[in-house]
Amino acid sequence: MDTRRAFLAAGAGTLAVLAGCTSGPNGGGDGSGGGDGSDGTTAGTPTPEAAETLATHPAARDLDAQPRLGPPVDEAAGVVVAFEDPSCTLCRRFEENTLPDLRSNLVDTGDAAFVYRGYPVIYPWGKPASQALESTFAADADAFWALKDHYFAEQGTFTTDNVLEETEAFLASETSVDAAAVVDDARNERHDAAVQADIEAAQAAGAGSQTPIFYLFRDGEFQTRVSGPQGYDVFAAAMGF
Amino acid sequence: MAQTSGLRRRLPDLPTGSDDWRLMGRTARLVLGIPTYAVVALVAAVAGLTLFVTSLNLPLAGFALTGDLTLDGRLRILRGLYPFVGSAYDPFQGTLLVFVAALVGVNVAMAVYHFREHAVSVESGGASLAAVLLATLGAGCAACGVPILLAILSIFGVSSAALLLPLDGLEFALLAVVALVLSTHWLAEGMRGGEIRGCPVDL
Repeated sequence: MDTRRAFLAAGAGTLAVLAGCTSGPNGGGDGSGGGDGSDGTTAGTPTPEAAETLATHPAARDLDAQPRLGPPVDEAAGVVVAFEDPSCTLCRRFEENTLPDLRSNLVDTGDAAFVYRGYPVIYPWGKPASQALESTFAADADAFWALKDHYFAEQGTFTTDNVLEETEAFLASETSVDAAAVVDDARNERHDAAVQADIEAAQAAGAGSQTPIFYLFRDGEFQTRVSGPQGYDVFAAAMGF
Repeated sequence: MAQTSGLRRRLPDLPTGSDDWRLMGRTARLVLGIPTYAVVALVAAVAGLTLFVTSLNLPLAGFALTGDLTLDGRLRILRGLYPFVGSAYDPFQGTLLVFVAALVGVNVAMAVYHFREHAVSVESGGASLAAVLLATLGAGCAACGVPILLAILSIFGVSSAALLLPLDGLEFALLAVVALVLSTHWLAEGMRGGEIRGCPVDL
């Protein structure tokens, strides 16, 4: 009996250690997330996200400078601000299962805008990949979307050692940008300010250490945060479509 | 010999033989054969699954319940959170979560029966609760991905091991299966020798 109680006590202790897993920005449930306090919140204090807008929400900082599909954010009824990591398997599932429907049903019709922001927090190769994405976006937006799709499509083949080499090969063969110059920029982190701006926006919005995470807006007003590769219906319904 | 015997007395009673598994199956079947407890199991399973999936998206679930949405919109969001209906989980992860939820249902029904009909052992009830918490962690870690697991494992000096976790954190759900099986085993052992619906709980 005592042994069982000891076993359960040990289990309870382990659960206490692991509690961070569900008490993070998602599991916490109070919307306060794991922000760094830069948005004026402190841990455990609910963020008044529901009252925020595209102009005030931390996730929407510098939104005009971000890669975007669909209409300008101030003209779109719905806006999805996505924080993704190229190395994240759950992001890949979103890209494969949900984004195509979002694009065909809402983005391509002009009803919603989809904004991509890099948040490399999963595997190490996501960091140089994010540098490469920003460097590519600075050169050509179409090449950026092609490279982003390539990262997710071939996700299992990348490592920290080969990602920039593979990136250069892809950009050289599939896009019109100067692949060597773009990869040189990425290697020297010449667009690191853009990478850091995304990371800071995610942290200020309480994204914690997880991807993918999405912030949804309707008519400029923040609606809710969505975690994980949820299906199209969840996104559409949450934005009132 | 004396040391071995002492050690055995201190170890938890684990299901080791086929008789243990048959006893668990028979006890669960007898309890679930009572319509009231079958309903309890169903309700507990659905509640467990709901707890797992909403723990990942509490802001979204809250928005679905209280936001400015049509009824259809609310239902579309809530429905989308569940495995197989929504796309947040792949088939394996979905199956694992549903399996854990089913185990929770069976376990809770047995615990409730034991509470009501016999003197329940505290550790069985505690193990059931621990299993639910572990399953919730498993579902949670499926969404938060590897980094949190990495941080946890790094405490124990096994940081690179997380890169080998094939379930993106649902390994916690597997731990929940272990906890639920142990709990069910202890409940069945606790009921051994008694009767359910006039049938002896024994082999």
